[in-house]
This record gives sequence, structure tokens and C-alpha cells, in this order.
Amino acid sequence: MPRQDFQPEPGIAARLDALMTELYRKSKGEELGLTRQQFDSVLGEIARKYLTADAAHHDVCELYTSLRAEELVLARACAAGHERAWEIFLTRYREKLYDIAGYITKESSTARELADSIYAELYGTTTRDGQRTSKLASYTGRGSLEGWLRTVMVQEHVNRYRRQRRLVSLDEETEEGSQFAIPATEAAIAVDPRVEAATDEVLIALPPEDRYVLASYFLDERTLAEIARTLGVHESTISRKVDKLAKSLRKQILAALGRRGMSRRQAQEALEVDVRDLRVNIRSRLAQEKGGGAFSKKKAEAPADGS
Amino acid sequence: MATVEDHPDANLLGAFVEKSLAQVEQFRVLEHLSRCASCREIVSLTATQPGIASAVSVAPARAGWLSWPVLRWGAAVACVVVVGTVVTLRQQHESLQIEPTISVQKPEPEKQISAPSSPQSKNAEDMTTAAANPTVTRQTARAMKPAGNNNAAASPVEMADAGVGSRLAEVPGRAKAAESQDALSMKAPGNTAQVETSGAVVVPLVSTNLPPRWTLSSDGTLQRSRDSGRSWQTIQVADNTIFRALAANRLEIWVGGASGALFHSSDAGQHWTQVRPVANGEALADDIIGVEFADTLHGKVTTSVQEIWITADAGQTWQKQ
Repeated sequence: MPRQDFQPEPGIAARLDALMTELYRKSKGEELGLTRQQFDSVLGEIARKYLTADAAHHDVCELYTSLRAEELVLARACAAGHERAWEIFLTRYREKLYDIAGYITKESSTARELADSIYAELYGTTTRDGQRTSKLASYTGRGSLEGWLRTVMVQEHVNRYRRQRRLVSLDEETEEGSQFAIPATEAAIAVDPRVEAATDEVLIALPPEDRYVLASYFLDERTLAEIARTLGVHESTISRKVDKLAKSLRKQILAALGRRGMSRRQAQEALEVDVRDLRVNIRSRLAQEKGGGAFSKKKAEAPADGS
Repeated sequence: MATVEDHPDANLLGAFVEKSLAQVEQFRVLEHLSRCASCREIVSLTATQPGIASAVSVAPARAGWLSWPVLRWGAAVACVVVVGTVVTLRQQHESLQIEPTISVQKPEPEKQISAPSSPQSKNAEDMTTAAANPTVTRQTARAMKPAGNNNAAASPVEMADAGVGSRLAEVPGRAKAAESQDALSMKAPGNTAQVETSGAVVVPLVSTNLPPRWTLSSDGTLQRSRDSGRSWQTIQVADNTIFRALAANRLEIWVGGASGALFHSSDAGQHWTQVRPVANGEALADDIIGVEFADTLHGKVTTSVQEIWITADAGQTWQKQ
């Protein structure tokens, strides 16, 4: 059984076992040197990662059914050093690695360096406790293996870019004689605190998709097409959403200002403040985590496991 | 259980882009993305790569009654009739007018010098144009704001005013123009036409037979005309960049300038991408004085030191002669 921490009823256990048998068959694990027991162990690890201990069996079945079993087995077989698995992986993904890197970096030598670096991590050139560790061991089959590779490469590229930017900035500061330059801050302009509070109230109440669209468009300055592609909708849909959101936000902020004791006219005049102040306020509310440093402390500390 | 209070790992982010997650998980990841600029950057870079596997169709979200084939084709036929009538009337009208002599459709390596309007009236003209022209870029909208707000990214509240120069004044227009343009290009050729949209807003369209005209002003700014050269609008491509070379072929625009600055738009200037040519590990850094593109893929850039850089894949890779 994949999970050690619960004992399902016999009927459910049989159904689960049948599902896992079918998944193992589809994954062709046997051809790649992965035993059924090892396969069950991998599934159990994935279940523990994404589900709570008291998850319903229906949820477990749904999770297992959604996994890319064949790609999962391929990745884990590669991580275990199976030669045939590596042959398949290289045939399918080696060129794609360079293509993806080329698209990300837009420059051939940097792309090659990035792809080679990722490939080394996938192959497992680092060791832990005497055992080779491969980044492929962290692939869990939630999405396609190719999609996971893209995300891993983007993460690595972004981390490198940010590290380099910090180094370049330090060099520039040293040359200019301001080794410990104070970060530039926007000029402080007095804004009615009720406007800021009203804005906060309205933005907090937005559903996640709306906040995502606003943050991507106004903070990250992504194009409508980029946002649409991320969300899997048409560009015109995002265009209409941004328009609708902006109008709705204004009405809601006006209403919130009214609840704070402002008359309609006062509220409208208050919203005519310098837009830079509202932008600062909205930015601080929408962007609670800056993207200036490494991707996350968690990732900087443990980059080898792909998480 | 891995919560998205921590940053989602590559598995979750990749699956999010591919829409492979269960609805609840998709929602949780989206909630994290709405607060985390770092993860948004990762997701955006991943999602916008070519060939990304996505289970979600990019068809417009509103299917509604248009999902009925009969009504859909009926609407299409009605569009054809309307557009055809307008085009015919317009052609009859235009046949009495003098043919414009200036054309920028052919790619030309040399700078084209135009005569922009005077500085005093330019801003007012630009503001009016921005309100009427839904395809001005975000940077152009910022540049068109009144003095004192030039470095501000517009806030949602400001955009709700939908005033002149507002970015969101451009958004519905851009969407509607895109929708209407699709209908126009699908159905009938012709000159500039007007089609009434579902929101009862009449939006001027650009005909597929008369793409915008482009030129570079004497101070190196890119300008576009949508009315056969009668009026010109400055298109903000990049800050503090002087352009000296231009190549335009329908929707494909390339501009090159000082210090190797090279920008490309494939949608008539709505969006721009900076292209950094590199060959054999060497980046193009000299002033660009000539840009020629025979088609979408094949192009040539000439620099001030008489170097010629060639691409055969729309700027993805370059060779230096």
C-alpha cells in the first residue's frame, strides 16, 4: 500500500490497488527497472506531499489518476540511474532543453550554459550522503515533464539574473564612490489616509484571479496577451476584465470613502490625488513579496530538489 | 501537505500553467500568485514559451449564444453584408479623392524624415489621438499624461476615469478593434470601415488593405499614421532611444537606433519586443543605421561601422558578415 498512515476499508483498498496496478501498467515501470513496490512508494510520497493525512480516498484516487504516470516513472528511473531511461529521456528532451533555454535567454551562449547547468543537475552530479542526487527525483507528475523542465529552467534563469544584477549594482556603487548607497525612495506626498484605507479594503476583498490580473497588468506590466496565455483565456477576455475591474474599483473605493465619513464630492476630489501615491499604495497592497532577491529563501537554501 | 503559503514548487507552477491541477489547488496557487511577484514572473515566463502544453483552449470565454452554429454563421453573414456595403460606399467616395503619394509599406534602410506637428499642439493632438486610438501602447499612454505624471504607472482608480490618455480608454477599444478586425479580415477586403459592436460603440477599424504608415522624425522618434499620412502619432517604443532605421511590412515593424537598440512589433506597434542580436558570442552594440526585412523571417541590419547582421528566423539568431 502506498501510504503507511491509514488503513482503508477492504473494498476501497481493493479499488485503490486496482487503480495503482493499472497505473503501473500504463507507466511501463517494469521496462525501466522500477518495481511495483517502488512505484507504490513513489505514489505514497506524492500523496503525502499534496494531500493531508485525513484526505478522503476519493481524493487519493483523483490525485493518482491525474498523475502523468509514464513521465513520472521515466523521471524516477533516470534519477535512479537506469540507462535505458536516460536514453529515452535524452531522445525526447535533450534538444528541447536547449530550445527552451534559447527562448528564455534569447542568446545562444547563455542558453547553452543554462541548459548544460540544468542537465548536470538532472543527471545528478552532486552527491548527498554518498548517493548521487538528481533533480529529476523531485518531479511528481502533476504536470508534464516538459512543463516541469520549462519551469525549472525559468527558475534557474531568473535566480541567475537576480544574482548577477545584485553584483553589478554593487560594482556600480563602488565605482561611483557610494559603496553603501541608500536605495532611492519615492517622494513622500501627503495623501488622505482614508483613501489608502479604502483602497486597501477594496483590494483585499478582490478574488484571487482579479488580484492576479491587476498585479500582472499594473505592477508587473505584463501585456494582455501574456496574462491571457497564463490564464488560458483569450486576450479580449483579459482586456474586458481589466476595464471592468478598474471601473468597479473606483465605485467601491468611493463607497468605502463614503463609509468613512466623506461626502460624494469629497470622495471624488480625494481620488484626484497624484496617481503616484495611489500607485504606491496599491503596489504595496498587491505586491506583498518583492521579486528583487532570489526566488525565495526556501529555494536559495535548497535549490537541488527542484522545489 | 505543501501549502501555497510557501512558494509553490516547479511541479505545482508547471501544472498550474498547464491547467493540470484540481480546481481547489488551481485556486490556491492563483491566490498565491496574486500576492507574489516572484512566482508571477516564473509563471509568466513559463506560460509564454512557444509549444507550451496547455489543456485550456484560448477561445473567448464568452461562448453564449454564439456557440449555436446557425446563429454564429448568421452573424458572420450579416457582418459580410454590412462591411461589403460600407466598403462599396467608401470606395465610391474615395475614388473622387486625390491618391496619397507617401508610402512606408516598403522596408527602407534610410531614415524617413517627416514633419510632426508643433510642440504646443502636439500634446493636445496626441491626447486626442490616444482617446480615439485604442491601440496606443502603455508607454505612449504614460508619455501622454499631463506634466508631473509622466513617470506614473496609472492606478486602477485613475483608469476608471477613462479620461484622455488613460490606458483603460485604450483597453476596450483595443479589444473591440481586435474583435472587429477579425470579422473584417475574415469577410471582405476594403478600406477603412466602421462596425457597430455589441456595446453600441462605433470603433474605427484599420483595413487589411491599408496598413498604418510609419516614419521616423528628425529627433529619432517613431511615428505612425492611420489615415494615409494626414496625421501622425508618436509611438513610444523605449525611453531615451533615438531611432535611425525603420522597416515596416504590414503588421511587422522593426526599428533600430543608437547603441544597437533594435525593437520589433508583430502587431502594428501595439506591443514591442527588444531584440539583442548576438553572433559568435558578440553582441551588436554599434548604432544601427539600416534595417531591412524582406519578409517576416529574413532581415538585415546595418551598423554605423559597416557591419551587416543577418537573420533568417525573425531575429531569434543572427550572423554577422
